[in-house]
Amino acid sequence: MVSDSISANASIPSATKDFGKKKRANRSAKLKQCKLDARREQWLSQGVAKNKGIKEEPAGPRGSPPLPGKGSERKHLLEKLEMRRRDEDENGSIHHDFDSDSPSNSPTGSSVLGGSVSGTNFTGSSSSSSSSSSSGGCCSGSITEDDEDNCLDDWEAVADALAADDENKQGNCHDDNSPCLESGLETHRDREPVVRLDSHCEALKRSLPNSAPMRVAPANSRAWRPDDECRPQSLPNLAKQRSLPNADRHCGQGGFQWDYPSAGAVNGPSSCPVCTEDLDFTDASFLPCSCRFQVCLFCYKKMLELDGRCPNCRKLYEHVPAEVEVEVEASVHGGSLTLKLPRSYSMIARS
Amino acid sequence: MIDFARVQKELQECSRDIESSGIKVSPKSDSLARLTGTIPGPIGTPYEGGTFQIDITLPVMGKFEWELKDGYPFEPPKMQFATKVWHPNISSQSGAICLDILKDQWSPALTLKTALLSVQALLSAPEPDDPQDAVVAQQYLRDYQTFVGTARYWTETFAKPSSLGVEEKVSKLVEMGFPEVLVRSTLESAGGDENLALEKLCSG
Repeated sequence: MVSDSISANASIPSATKDFGKKKRANRSAKLKQCKLDARREQWLSQGVAKNKGIKEEPAGPRGSPPLPGKGSERKHLLEKLEMRRRDEDENGSIHHDFDSDSPSNSPTGSSVLGGSVSGTNFTGSSSSSSSSSSSGGCCSGSITEDDEDNCLDDWEAVADALAADDENKQGNCHDDNSPCLESGLETHRDREPVVRLDSHCEALKRSLPNSAPMRVAPANSRAWRPDDECRPQSLPNLAKQRSLPNADRHCGQGGFQWDYPSAGAVNGPSSCPVCTEDLDFTDASFLPCSCRFQVCLFCYKKMLELDGRCPNCRKLYEHVPAEVEVEVEASVHGGSLTLKLPRSYSMIARS
Repeated sequence: MIDFARVQKELQECSRDIESSGIKVSPKSDSLARLTGTIPGPIGTPYEGGTFQIDITLPVMGKFEWELKDGYPFEPPKMQFATKVWHPNISSQSGAICLDILKDQWSPALTLKTALLSVQALLSAPEPDDPQDAVVAQQYLRDYQTFVGTARYWTETFAKPSSLGVEEKVSKLVEMGFPEVLVRSTLESAGGDENLALEKLCSG
């Protein structure tokens, strides 16, 4: 156990070296090196502590909190780190989850891993908060070297992302749009959900056979490059997420892949045939009916409120978003209630 | 609420292919809620050669008062013939149109132009089994030739630019002391010729 943690310690410098080598090529980034080093050390020390947590876990009682002194120290470090990074307006996708330091989450060494993994390939979901509470002490004690390797890979990725961000700042001051990261707006938007998703990913990973999600991790642990195929191309769409609570989670490549019907976006109309507003990417990739008649999400919602039929072929829309489904059902159950339902629709819509 | 942005776009698109479709939509006032549609009578029908004006009123709200935001295009436009037409599915009195897509079969994917095209198609394919004007429908079913004659006469009388003075002729003859119903029927049988109608009225 102890030797494990030592080996984890020992393997870190090699990663550091690797990283240093990479960076040395880039002379312009050298000024930032000291700052980076300090930051990396903080991250690494935190990672070591985490790894220790994993290693200790099988023997000790499940979900046992880390040593109090260490824990608070780590928390302090983390806080400092977090504050600093907030100040510098870093990419939200590599923000670390505070909650993972709390006792209930402590057995999951992978929370750090989860943080960076989910952060980098996650297309944005705010609806996962409900599952974050499920991260109880159900970790099987068999998380092994696999984790550690990936963990290191992730640290490298995190450092890469940091470096990229720093370089960018150096290049054009006060512009936090990094070339290989999402746009500033998206970064901003993603920040909140990512923090919450961390623990969701943990839970998900723990529920899977432990090798599968871990193998996926290295491929996903890089920041997006502009030419990256898997790079999300649009802002997260909240309406869509609400309608498909489990479908468009983009957590790891083993998970559900968000379907980008880019063909539809290219061939389809450029404006909504109902309201004549221009279709944005989300609208353009939204095919509510098998007849391929496209409407914008606003008009789609309107159609559901009216009769739930496609304006083109008059077929009933097949999948009805969960929130509307309830009300549609109600209208089926109580025939006399149907007149009251439109009122509730419009009340909802007005608010 | 009426989606005026959409109405504006529809007007633009309609004026773009006015040559090919012959269908014209123009606003009556600045509000865009009241418009006038113009359709040519379909060729090969008693309405051929006529130009029919249709009053269009866009609904501001849905069926219920709380559906204030469900105006056009979520609700069908209200259409009514301003030009008198002799047709089983169009009221010879009010010009009201009996057409499903203007009622429960409306779809927001339809436009003013497609709705007017449907009205034009209705002119060439009457549905006497689902009539708006029972008298016309009866005539259509029992005496088709007479129906065709009357429809053609109404087209000549009311739907042609040269016949715009018909109402003036009627009022002139009525002023002479003839009953209006008789004046109209005589003018009809005289093919719109004012002098011939006067002769007939005097001899009759």
